[in-house]
Amino acid sequence: MHRWKRTLALPVTLVAIALGFLISLQAQTQKNVSAAEQISAERMTQMKSVLANSQAQNELLQKVHSKLLGELDEARKRVGTDPQLLAQLTKFQMLDGTLAVEGPGIIISIDDRGKKVLFPLTTDEISRMINTLKFAGAEAISLNGQRIVGTTAIVLSGSSTILVNQVPINRAEGVPYELSAIGNQDTLLDYFTKLEATNLQQNGLTVSIARKTVRIPSFKGAYTFKQAKPYTP
Amino acid sequence: MKLAIRERFLLGFASILLGFLFIALLKTQGVAVSRVALQEAAVPSLIQTEQENQQLSVENDKIQLELAKYAQGQSAAALANQQVQEAKMNAGLVALTGPGLRITLDDSKRVASGEEDPNSYFIHEQYIREILNALWNGGAEAIAVNGQRVTTHTEVFCGGSFIQINGTRQMPPYLIEAIGDSRNLSAALNFYGWDRLGNLQEQYGITRKLDILEMVMIPAGKLREFHYAEPVKEGT
Repeated sequence: MHRWKRTLALPVTLVAIALGFLISLQAQTQKNVSAAEQISAERMTQMKSVLANSQAQNELLQKVHSKLLGELDEARKRVGTDPQLLAQLTKFQMLDGTLAVEGPGIIISIDDRGKKVLFPLTTDEISRMINTLKFAGAEAISLNGQRIVGTTAIVLSGSSTILVNQVPINRAEGVPYELSAIGNQDTLLDYFTKLEATNLQQNGLTVSIARKTVRIPSFKGAYTFKQAKPYTP
Repeated sequence: MKLAIRERFLLGFASILLGFLFIALLKTQGVAVSRVALQEAAVPSLIQTEQENQQLSVENDKIQLELAKYAQGQSAAALANQQVQEAKMNAGLVALTGPGLRITLDDSKRVASGEEDPNSYFIHEQYIREILNALWNGGAEAIAVNGQRVTTHTEVFCGGSFIQINGTRQMPPYLIEAIGDSRNLSAALNFYGWDRLGNLQEQYGITRKLDILEMVMIPAGKLREFHYAEPVKEGT
């Protein structure tokens, strides 16, 4: 049997104390963390159920919306509204964006989450891209499901939330930005590639453009004229 | 001090255990943080659907109101006519007047000297786009640049020495006129880049002027034909 040296007694005691302290601390944090995880998981499921709820409601509203639009069409026909007047209405509503439209066009997907990306996409760059599409003669444009109309403002809310028509367009999953445009596919593709895509790709963003038959949703915001009156010379 | 093998072994073991516990402690801390980040990402899409839902129900209410009017036997022609007028106004095809403001932007009278960047002396299309964006954000009801009504299809594109707006060549000075609440409009301008233009004015001598007017006239935009887009057939 060894006899313990006196000189060793102090360091060993200290180590033992530190060890005991750490073990108890570890046990404590473990408890805290699992409690925090539980709360977090609970909140996550709550959030998911709220989101699912809201999405279900969205679907329902969409269905009601298209049904109502169908009924409206019927009602107009039934009362015998002048077809010429209706054609005019359709045209103006295509112009102000309150009518959903479809036609040949392009879909541009932009991913700014890569490692090579120096700066994520800014609102100025988004406005620029939309301007280029307009220059290329796009007849209707939407960004992440928001129709771009004359009064559309694209602004930053807080540090990273982008608002289009006052609706946040940030996506939690999938491609972050999806621009759709209806028009001459060749012109749109050519202008966008030369004027925008090359530049973005140089900055490390992933840009892919596809020719497609595009459906562009209607503008669901409101036009308000409180100050403006029609001008009568 | 000399230690026996057994003692050395004990000390070594204790040290390893200590290190291990310490690492485990640090790790648990990390997990807690990443969880929160995951949760945050779900928030925007929730706001988004909520906003869309609100927009949709407003829209649905509007249609229901219209259907009710039809059901009551209101004159169909009058109703359609009223809607045509509204859509025409929304689309920017009606000249409007109202209180608002006028912004004047002009290139500098001075020329760049030495190694200065000549670009700082000109008004760029980007400034105009930024101002338009700010004005819409401030609740502008109608805007025109050099008499060109800004509509859904208006481009503000740099064509070198000129700026192309609605397919027309526009040269400085650029007059941007807007109808709306002038206080809201100026607040929005101040929030978005108005000061930066002020700096360019001080440093390089460009013109940046804001006049609040009691009455502005905004001309009507041009009608545009659609060659590719068609209305979506509902119920499909």
